[in-house]
Amino acid sequence: MKTAFAFAAMLTAAPFLAPLAAGQAQAADTGAPLRFVLIPKTVHPWFDKANNGAQAAAAMITQTTGRKVEIEYRAPQTADVSSQNDIIERAIATHPDGLILDLLDEKGNRATMDEAVDEKIPMTVFDSLPPEGMDITAVGADFCEQGTMAAERLANLVGRKGEVAIMMGVPTAPNHTLRAECEKKVFAKYPDMKVVATGVDNDSIETAQKQASAIMQAHPDLVGWVECDASGPVGVGQAIRESGKTGKVKEVGLDNLNDMIQLIKEGVAESSASSRPEMQGYWAVVSAWQRAMGQKTPKYIDTGIDLLTAKSL
Amino acid sequence: MSLETTVPAAPSQQPPKLPPLKALVSRLAGNPLGGVIAALVIIFGASCALSPHFLTTFNMMIIARALAFIGLVTIGQSVLMILGELDLSVGAIGGLAGVVGGILMVQLGLNPWLSLVLCLLMGAGCGLLNGALITQLRLHSLVLTIGMAGVYGGANLVATKGVAITGVPRDITFLGRGLVMGVPVPFVVLLVCLAIVAFVMLRTPVGRYIYAIGSNPDAARMLGIRVNAIRMGAFALAGFLSALAGILMVARLGTAQPSIGDTWVLGPIAAAVIGGVATTGGIGSPIGAVLGAVIIGIIEDIIVLFGISPYWQSVVSGGIVVLAISFDALARRYLNRDAV
Repeated sequence: MKTAFAFAAMLTAAPFLAPLAAGQAQAADTGAPLRFVLIPKTVHPWFDKANNGAQAAAAMITQTTGRKVEIEYRAPQTADVSSQNDIIERAIATHPDGLILDLLDEKGNRATMDEAVDEKIPMTVFDSLPPEGMDITAVGADFCEQGTMAAERLANLVGRKGEVAIMMGVPTAPNHTLRAECEKKVFAKYPDMKVVATGVDNDSIETAQKQASAIMQAHPDLVGWVECDASGPVGVGQAIRESGKTGKVKEVGLDNLNDMIQLIKEGVAESSASSRPEMQGYWAVVSAWQRAMGQKTPKYIDTGIDLLTAKSL
Repeated sequence: MSLETTVPAAPSQQPPKLPPLKALVSRLAGNPLGGVIAALVIIFGASCALSPHFLTTFNMMIIARALAFIGLVTIGQSVLMILGELDLSVGAIGGLAGVVGGILMVQLGLNPWLSLVLCLLMGAGCGLLNGALITQLRLHSLVLTIGMAGVYGGANLVATKGVAITGVPRDITFLGRGLVMGVPVPFVVLLVCLAIVAFVMLRTPVGRYIYAIGSNPDAARMLGIRVNAIRMGAFALAGFLSALAGILMVARLGTAQPSIGDTWVLGPIAAAVIGGVATTGGIGSPIGAVLGAVIIGIIEDIIVLFGISPYWQSVVSGGIVVLAISFDALARRYLNRDAV
């Protein structure tokens, strides 16, 4: 046991006796490859699409300028702020030329982002807003506008009357709750519409399918669905198809996952309000690159929202 | 001075002098924590060799701070495992303590330090409730705490509606973000808690009772040990330490996040097993469990430093954990062979 204590003491002391990190050369002015670390909220196909856009931007910059740009994609396994902060801190330890972040909660991420500022690592955020007072470019779409667009589309499809349901994503994710609030506001405008159920899918297709099936059993007069995350619409669509209510229960989804597009093509979902993840990843890298070059960048880059329908696909 | 006292002993009476490296290996092999220490040294050394970013002050601080939260929960869970119990609600208790702390400090404007004490008491109370239900109703701890995790997690969502509580007073953020002589405060808290719990476990009658109960609860009861009281006390300790981790995380983030503790369920159990704590009870120590948590923390760190694809992360981290456990098992077998 003495050995264990001695080793524990040695381990405790060693890191703090270790020589300070040798100054990590910033690649910005040396012609060396530019390295950006992209950290999304969690592992999810939506972020893979954002990463595809980021890789496309890196290839474009490499081709245009002749200077290699590398994107390292490091996703937390769970959508949890402390897990994301751990990843961000570890990325800071590698001294990249820029961090590209999709923040889970700008206030909860603040302390870690301050560490990046202390280490003079420029940051760009996408699909989220930066903490107050930080000079950081935000790339993305308006979440409320996206939810409002979906809800208005559904209201018009069902003649602005009847029972509707909302599938929440993760109740603790600010963008999901914001979309839900804006969707509720739209339905509240129409006196003949009533939100009779709100499911919680925790960004899981399987959970969304189970919840949607149960809700449709409990509310046989349900006429339509809107959702708040990318997984929800896929699960709801599968539940509509399984219950044989295709066409009777309308769905307006969110985002452009392959499953969502398939549901629209099959006529299960009527449309989807998509927030263009590839474009967000692309412009986040362009912004990060400009920052690394010492250029000032805009406060906000709006990548807009697409309404995907069977015709537009 | 007599002649006999000056004559050196015959060589055959002295243990053979081993080379330093062999002597170290021999000492490690003779220590119950030898396997986990050896695995840790190998993983630490390999990480130093493979990444220039690993052995830096900044990165060590990251590892130490991240270890503090999971380490506190691991201490409580390891004591329960030595008792032959498990508490799967520790993460939910940590999360609930965090949001209750946020409500007390921000929404009710209570003194932050008083809020902290109340949250710790609440955590201990939640643990005690678990223990009381398990001992008095004779329920299996695994099943009961799965249910209680739902209760505490649900209470968390009811209290917050899923929305983080912001505006935590700066008085308390030092506990999560501050440094004491260059060492993160949460890590100092972890070391203090570990020292106290390890002392109790290894040097006091209560610790011996816990090992006795974990080895054979019926025999312990026949010896007059107050088995149920000790079990309830251990659950209260696990709840207290989880609440401490939760409130430290609130201080670290500056917000009371409803998701705090979501990842504190399986990690501490894995850490304890890696550190030599038997799931059947009676074997292991909190020190070994925390060393297991250090191994997991280093693995999580190097996975990011090496830029391993997020889709491969679980495979890589799981594989290294299996290697570490295998190494520990092989070391024990080697020890047993020598003993025979």
